[in-house]
Amino acid sequence: MAKTKEDTTSFEYSFTKLQQIMESLEENSDETSLDELIKHYQEGLQLIKTCRDKLNDAELKIEKINSENSK
Amino acid sequence: MTDNNFLSVSDLTLLIKGVLENKFSEVIFTAEISNFKRHFSSGHLYFTLKDDKSQIPAKMWKNSAMRLPFEPKDGMKVLVHGSIDVYIPHGSYSVIVSEMEHFGLGELLVKLEKLKQKLASEGLFDADRKKPLPEFPRRIGIVTSETGAVIQDFKRVAAKRYPVLEILLFHANVQGQGSVQNVCKAIAEANKPEYDLDLIVIARGGGSIEDLWTFNEESVVRAIAESELPVVSAIGHETDTTLVDYVSDLRAPTPSAAAELILPDKVDLLERLAQIESIIKTNVTGRVQNIKAVVESFSKSYILNRTKDVINDNKVKLDEISTELLERVNMKLLNTKNVIHNYEKILNSVSPESTLRRGFAIVEKDNNIVSKANKLVKDDKVVLKFYDDTRKAVIQ
Repeated sequence: MAKTKEDTTSFEYSFTKLQQIMESLEENSDETSLDELIKHYQEGLQLIKTCRDKLNDAELKIEKINSENSK
Repeated sequence: MTDNNFLSVSDLTLLIKGVLENKFSEVIFTAEISNFKRHFSSGHLYFTLKDDKSQIPAKMWKNSAMRLPFEPKDGMKVLVHGSIDVYIPHGSYSVIVSEMEHFGLGELLVKLEKLKQKLASEGLFDADRKKPLPEFPRRIGIVTSETGAVIQDFKRVAAKRYPVLEILLFHANVQGQGSVQNVCKAIAEANKPEYDLDLIVIARGGGSIEDLWTFNEESVVRAIAESELPVVSAIGHETDTTLVDYVSDLRAPTPSAAAELILPDKVDLLERLAQIESIIKTNVTGRVQNIKAVVESFSKSYILNRTKDVINDNKVKLDEISTELLERVNMKLLNTKNVIHNYEKILNSVSPESTLRRGFAIVEKDNNIVSKANKLVKDDKVVLKFYDDTRKAVIQ
């Protein structure tokens, strides 16, 4: 598949990362250190903001490809 | 030169109508039905009669249609009895069908069924060939006509649901001459790594079975089967099914439904974000409260309180000591006073005054105390010192 490297600016990246943070918080909430917890907390809230901003501010991009199949 | 010297369009049309309707007042021919529609209120039937080279529009009025022994369908081969009718406002002709006999499945559908079975036997429609679709597509390609309503419908739904999406439009004619090659090339083009797409949507609006025939063509089906990217088909309306629908990884009933199926919904996502936010906050608040509770319980612990007790005890002791010290100092002072008082008493008791009080007197001569009688002779003048006063005397 024509997959390039992970695009860290994409919504998908932020949202997936957020889900990972949430899972790790839910799974081992008693084992995470306070430092780690606060790190996750700050990172999580930042990612939520990023995702929200993306959804609310983004405008659909559409581009026409002029390949040889265009008439 | 006036208009009256020449035929008008309507004169000509009227002439044609006379000739055609006379000449073809009763025709019998075989045809395949397509684009069949029953008018919802009048009950008249409208459809196209065709073979592989030609087609004629056809109408069947309700009173004739009611006598039909079968329900006409697209692709049916029929024997038609009817007459030619010229419609003056459009200068167009059509067949008014009076009777129709069912000739079995149309050749087209038979061919289609054969092709479908062949491709199925090759495994092209197998479920385990279906590629999963990404949950959050970033960039997608859409193969459709740049002029059709399809791209507008798709854009509208996509912008509402998932505005972070990027769409690349690969234009292809989706009907008629060259459309098969167009669509095949567009699919291959969209698969090029330089476009970095997550999936391809192949879309076309509704139309007759002939209009959609491109998507029943073997080469188009194979082009989709060869696509490395997942392909979503969205051809025609819900009731239309083409071979492309079988081979694609996901079949959407319409182009706007395709957008709904492949794209997450902004409203849901914002709700999920709010949930995640509250989970994260609750989790962290919970942890912090736990830590607080631990700190509190520690502060109430024996060790800490013991220390406090020791401090308090010592405070009391210190107070006690200071009080005692003060008392001792006071006592000492008092003792000293008493001692001094006693000394005073003793001193007083040994002074001559007290002796004098008891009736003694001191004899002084020339300011010296006379302690012996033989120190005095006749006519010596002496001073007698009594306890309260002095008197002068002369010795006899």
